[in-house]
Amino acid sequence: MQWLIALETNSDPITACRLINIFRRKGVGILTLAMAARPQGFSLITVAETPETEVEHIYNFLRRVEGVQHVTYYRHEPQGDASFVFIDSEPQSHTLARVLQDFPGAKMVFGSDGKYLLEVPEGRQARVRDLPGAPAEVLPFARVKTSNSRPEVITAQAS
Amino acid sequence: MRMKQTGSEILLESLHREGVDVFFGLPGGVVLPLYDALYSSGVRHLLVRHEQAAAFAADGYARATGKVGVCLGTSGPGATNLITALTSAMMDSIPVVALTGQVPLHLIGKDAFQECDTIGISMPSTKRSFLVRSAADIPEIMHQAFKTAVSGRPGPVLVDLPKNVLMESGETTYLNERGMEKKECIREWTDADLERAADLVLDSRRAVFYAGGGVIASQAWDELRELAELTKIPVTTTLMGLGGFPSDHRLSLGMLGMHGSYATNQSICNCDLLIAVGARFDDRVTGRLKDFSTLSKKIHIDVDPSEINKNVRIDVALVGDARQTLRALISAIQRQTDQAPAPAARQQWLQRIESWRGEHPLTYDKYGHAMKPQYVIETLCRHAAEDAIVSVDVGQHQMWTAQFWKFRQPRTWLSSSGLGSMGYGFPAAMGAQLAFPDRQVIAFVGDGGFQMTLNDLATVAQYRVPVKIAIINNRALGMVRQWQEIFFEKRYCDIDLSYAPNFAKLADSYGIRGVRVDHRADVEDAVRDLLSDREPGLIDFWVDPAENVYPIVPPGASLAEMVVEPPRVLLEEEALDDLWAV
Repeated sequence: MQWLIALETNSDPITACRLINIFRRKGVGILTLAMAARPQGFSLITVAETPETEVEHIYNFLRRVEGVQHVTYYRHEPQGDASFVFIDSEPQSHTLARVLQDFPGAKMVFGSDGKYLLEVPEGRQARVRDLPGAPAEVLPFARVKTSNSRPEVITAQAS
Repeated sequence: MRMKQTGSEILLESLHREGVDVFFGLPGGVVLPLYDALYSSGVRHLLVRHEQAAAFAADGYARATGKVGVCLGTSGPGATNLITALTSAMMDSIPVVALTGQVPLHLIGKDAFQECDTIGISMPSTKRSFLVRSAADIPEIMHQAFKTAVSGRPGPVLVDLPKNVLMESGETTYLNERGMEKKECIREWTDADLERAADLVLDSRRAVFYAGGGVIASQAWDELRELAELTKIPVTTTLMGLGGFPSDHRLSLGMLGMHGSYATNQSICNCDLLIAVGARFDDRVTGRLKDFSTLSKKIHIDVDPSEINKNVRIDVALVGDARQTLRALISAIQRQTDQAPAPAARQQWLQRIESWRGEHPLTYDKYGHAMKPQYVIETLCRHAAEDAIVSVDVGQHQMWTAQFWKFRQPRTWLSSSGLGSMGYGFPAAMGAQLAFPDRQVIAFVGDGGFQMTLNDLATVAQYRVPVKIAIINNRALGMVRQWQEIFFEKRYCDIDLSYAPNFAKLADSYGIRGVRVDHRADVEDAVRDLLSDREPGLIDFWVDPAENVYPIVPPGASLAEMVVEPPRVLLEEEALDDLWAV
């Protein structure tokens, strides 16, 4: 099954290296991978092939890696409703423009070198099934889980 | 307050401010500036004979104290020699900070002498690795390193220190707080999760606590005992969890898994509720996964969310610090019932476990002429102080110690459990002894493991570290021999260690009293003698070489398929082996 995993890390490139190594060790089959530098760190996005039984563990494993700020994972939704669109195109491709035409107001979550993740505006999900472009180039996804709402962190004195 | 110091001085001052009283290391080219600063500093350093021993000693120090252990190696081989021990600390969640020298920043990536990609190599073996680029950054990085090592699921952190950073002078500001004391405890469970867990506990009739190293790491032993006594639920511990619940407690089931007792594994197979606390359902515990504890609902308390549902499906997950979570669970249960729930069914469950214990007790041949390793371990246990710290290598002697030592206190058991690294026991004991100079520290080692690490006899001799070394010498790589015997039709291949030094004489040559014991009748006196002083000492026990570890769950089998004793035919052959040994 295909999943899209999006990560934000601190500015230490070692963290990004760790993540790639974790994908290898955990047997995550990387189909697409893109990385972009942000002012406060790196964004990394991958479409990966991994069994459904494993994805929750991988998500939990990634979110507790030192230096990882946020992890979000999305399920590929070729049939059902999806509120995210991933464009896996060549840098010079017009696919992004076509998708934006069909989904005005779409919010770009990630963008680098022909790889884009867009959040479709509310109420437009149904049309994701009729995405423009080649099937492998534009993939619909539904967000499953995000660590963006951080768990409760209690600072405790060691006894 | 801003002060001008060299990077080396800043590092030592940072260690001092973190409360580090001793660290373990071996100097080399790029860390010479640090050792120069060490010459006039107040921080104690123990010179080991191999960097792996430095990291294992730091690990032993950390397990025994609960504080961060610190080790140091120079660049290149110094750093790579630390890696096995850091991997062991990573697998067992032990807080260690490893300091490594590095070539000057401008030479990194140029294949300079003794340069290696320490950060790259250490990545999977540490929680986090730092490359320090400026002396002024050292206090903040050290603070982060100590905080990371103890926060959440503890583990090792590496700080790579280029030579020019150690030498440069700079002004810096120190933080007023210790990173070690600012650990973050995560809590992800909700009150509803807690109530569900409490309901499951109260509804259960055949429950078992399965306690792992997380109970030790989070200092949850008092809460575990309180909850076990409140609910009358028996407790089994993993290899990592030994000491987290007293072995002599009436609710103690001892260790479970591959070499767990029959009664313990039967209780896991037949329980209706399994409450895992700081444990990770590893393969040595579960046996064949699909048949693991199939009758039970499962509660999993763990600080690491990635452990939930990793190997076994969980009914209620409580992600959080074990101590805080158990405390909350005790309150939730007490809210639901004023009195400790002790239904008759639960008493029946305890009686059933007792009957399993009677059917196949954990035992060995106590009456033969051969010196059994279990007898040596029991004798040492009988004579040792209640708070004695026990360190082990990996293999048969490790399992016998886990089975037959009486663990009365937490943080008295040091074992490379996840990685299973031979050569751990002796240096880890050294580290623990440095933390507790007045307590007995006993290193049980095999003759195989000890030959990987005996060079540090020089260290204990030099510093008069009063570690007591008990070599369980069966002249072989015993566990490998056992597996070749049982699972490979006795096709013994490269397990013979009979070509070895006389360990007693070797110890003597280092200025350590060494004795060889090869008769059962001499064990008692030798042990008494060994434990009678505050000097390092070694006994080389020539035990029955044919003894095997039982019970055993064969690889790929379920816990229910455990073999509780050697097959008859093996016993007869063992008798012949005994004759041969004599």
